[in-house]
Amino acid sequence: MLDADFEVARRDFPVAASFRLDAGERLALLGPSGAGKTTILEAIAGFLPLCSGRISLGGRVLSSARGTTVPPRHRRVGLVGQGSSLFPHLTVLQNIRYGPHVSTRTALRWAHSLGLTATLGSRPAGLSEGEQRRAALARALAAGCQLLCLDEPFSALERNLADDLLERVREEVGDLSGGAILVTHRLEEAQAFADRIGVMDHGQVIQMTSPQELLRHPRTPTVARLMGYRGWLTGPRGQLAVHPELCSLEGPAEVTLGCRVTACRPMGARFDVTLAALGEWRGRVHVSWSQPLEVGSQLAVAIPSAVVFPEAEPGLG
Amino acid sequence: MTKTGAPFLGVSLARPATAAAILGAGVVWLLLLGPVITLMGHLSWTSVLSSLRAPGALQPLLVSVEASLIAVGVIILAGTPLAWMLARDRLPLTRVWEGALLLPLLTPPLVIGLLLVFMVGPATPAGALLAHLHLTAADTFFALVVAEVYEAVPYYVLGAEAAFAAVDPSLERAASLLGDSAPRTWRRITLPLAAPGLASALAVTWARAMGAFGAVLIIAYHPFGLPLQIWTTLQETGLYSALPFALILLLVALPLPLAAYFWSARARRRL
Repeated sequence: MLDADFEVARRDFPVAASFRLDAGERLALLGPSGAGKTTILEAIAGFLPLCSGRISLGGRVLSSARGTTVPPRHRRVGLVGQGSSLFPHLTVLQNIRYGPHVSTRTALRWAHSLGLTATLGSRPAGLSEGEQRRAALARALAAGCQLLCLDEPFSALERNLADDLLERVREEVGDLSGGAILVTHRLEEAQAFADRIGVMDHGQVIQMTSPQELLRHPRTPTVARLMGYRGWLTGPRGQLAVHPELCSLEGPAEVTLGCRVTACRPMGARFDVTLAALGEWRGRVHVSWSQPLEVGSQLAVAIPSAVVFPEAEPGLG
Repeated sequence: MTKTGAPFLGVSLARPATAAAILGAGVVWLLLLGPVITLMGHLSWTSVLSSLRAPGALQPLLVSVEASLIAVGVIILAGTPLAWMLARDRLPLTRVWEGALLLPLLTPPLVIGLLLVFMVGPATPAGALLAHLHLTAADTFFALVVAEVYEAVPYYVLGAEAAFAAVDPSLERAASLLGDSAPRTWRRITLPLAAPGLASALAVTWARAMGAFGAVLIIAYHPFGLPLQIWTTLQETGLYSALPFALILLLVALPLPLAAYFWSARARRRL
């Protein structure tokens, strides 16, 4: 189990985190670039000193502001980053077998498990992007890490390949006693991977909860924007955030919006409809509809669970 | 006959800029190789053999090789950690260190020799300290090594710094997370990846140490190294008598740099 409660100094702003991760649990840290997500992983990996607090893994204190610091090589933390970080002068097998206590048998087992058997004698330069990520993953797991940290490892990959790899990672990390942390700026990736998502902005974890809870009850406009809310209406109760996929034409509604259709464009198998709100809520919203709607027509949109922010905060338009 | 616009040796000569660039490269190549070609053209092999058979003729060669081996060894031992620390910003005031390294490179070798006399000569405090160790930095083998180190050290340290800086630090961090100690990471990751650049730096350093002349002339006229042998032969018996020794210097100084260059180029292609 990972127990993290710490603050790290950075040139622009301090980065703080406070969370626990149970055995086999998967956490995603979601946020814009520069929010401090990677800084958290670097602190856990032992590359950054803490200003306050401490980090412990499996009951063992790894870092503490009081001076306890276990060197990275003794932490049993695996880190797979955006680049493959495979050693270019070694073959795939030599890379996977790199850890001082990794036997050839263990390396071959992980290589087989991640579909790398055909590439064992190749050097990293001869591998595809997907193979490089799998090899980096196999290397981290073969070294016997308790906690796996994934720093946007699939961001440069094609969507299908990234989804496939994400699924493989989900299968492999279930046995880790410290769980796994994925850093990403892609909501779909975080939702597909994690049991819990922590949304970060300016060095702070704004909200950390299950993907469904985060989607239905974002605590701040920043969280709402990251969760895909695209409508921003002003009214007597404050500001109403509307998610394109969390509204319908009928059914129970906490808020019902009278709207006029101003645009309708195909988007994948559905339609992106722009609506101008009429009545007490003013502004424009985007909704995702299964049928095309006629521009100029009027309709009532039902929002089952309204997300209303009392103060005007820009950013969702 | 090559048609206009058809590639010649894989390069299209149709474009004037390409043709001009190739012509320029050819001129530079000839200018660079010119001295070696000229040397070969003016050498008489009988005079080479008679020069080499003269009593004590090979002694300066042995002196130069021995002194250069020691100088290069000292430079590697002292310069490699320094270069690594500079590449990884592990030293305070990195730019000041680099500036100090540039000084021997930018200072004329004769001036280095003069300054070394005032720095480590027998009449200086450093000279007195050396005397306690039974060493003298004037007209001795030790002085020759000191002069060669001063002339050659920047070539190695700056080259090695570039070689270490080219190694992605994230690879070293990855190795440490996999359980490697710092020395083990250095041996298994940093050194192999920097090796091609280190070999290039070492090759240049060897050539500079073997050919050190200016500082040597001032501080270590005796024992006689090969460059001084060429100089005195030129002064005493003329141009043609010096050519055999110039050939020997080239034959001894160049193979290592050339081998290192080709190995380094091959190793870089494999990464």
